[in-house]
Amino acid sequence: MTDDELLDSWTSLDPTNGQRRRVDARVSAWLDAHDTSIAAEWLELVRVSPFGSLTLATVGATAIVTVTPLAWFAGMLVGAVP
Amino acid sequence: MIPTATLRLPAAWPLGMLFAALSSRLGGDAERLPEDDILRLVEQARAGDTGARRRLYTQHVDLVYRTVRGMLRSDADAEDVTQDALLTALTSLDRYRPRADARFATWVTTIALNTARRRFRRRRPEITATGELPESAGDAADPADDFDRARQRRVLLAALAELPERDRTIVSLRYGADLNASEIGAIVGIEAAAVRKILERSRVRLGARLGTRSGGQP
Repeated sequence: MTDDELLDSWTSLDPTNGQRRRVDARVSAWLDAHDTSIAAEWLELVRVSPFGSLTLATVGATAIVTVTPLAWFAGMLVGAVP
Repeated sequence: MIPTATLRLPAAWPLGMLFAALSSRLGGDAERLPEDDILRLVEQARAGDTGARRRLYTQHVDLVYRTVRGMLRSDADAEDVTQDALLTALTSLDRYRPRADARFATWVTTIALNTARRRFRRRRPEITATGELPESAGDAADPADDFDRARQRRVLLAALAELPERDRTIVSLRYGADLNASEIGAIVGIEAAAVRKILERSRVRLGARLGTRSGGQP
């Protein structure tokens, strides 16, 4: 068996597409994680989620609108009780 | 050394997925670049160019995998060693000193060999009949892993499993990483002439096994 034949045979040990994808994903995930700057990590901590904020504002407004008359009515009842 | 456990991050990271998709789509930068271009990429990567670092990765990932696969007993070990070795190399580029007699691939391969040796010391997995662990279902459906290639791979791994550990390492460095006898001698710490002798002897043994098992010789 010649040198070239063995070099050619060795290509059969190349990673399959699935193996290659797994290694690529793990390496890039690790590098992405360690490339994140301190500033980016702090920004992530105070990140504003638009959907979360919208939900919070809606729930708050609904609560004010519904609770205010209820509180007023409850106050009336309490005041009516001798 | 970057512990393998810390690398088991979900593959669902947006950049990770994008990178994985791109690299497999582009065929992993299959064209081997000349050494001057590699050294230029090393300089750019040292300066913080993530694109250059990515190209260095794609230039060497298959080479490292096929080299350590010849030394190790399973695909899973080869995957782990490949990722550990490449991460060590890519995060230690500042320590790389270009030399006239050693290419960048030689440096990366040395890291891979040291990583594989550490793994050997930690545990010695059982040798299976074909020298392989079963692949996952996803890999079985891989179109690139056709029948002939899988058969050739199985025969080669079985033949390699019969070689002594040092000889297996030397032939893997020669045929997996395409290193010459001097480069291999520098890595494993023996004379180039001794490397040539081992290669010659191993070539005969592998040739006999591959010929027999592939049906060429009785």
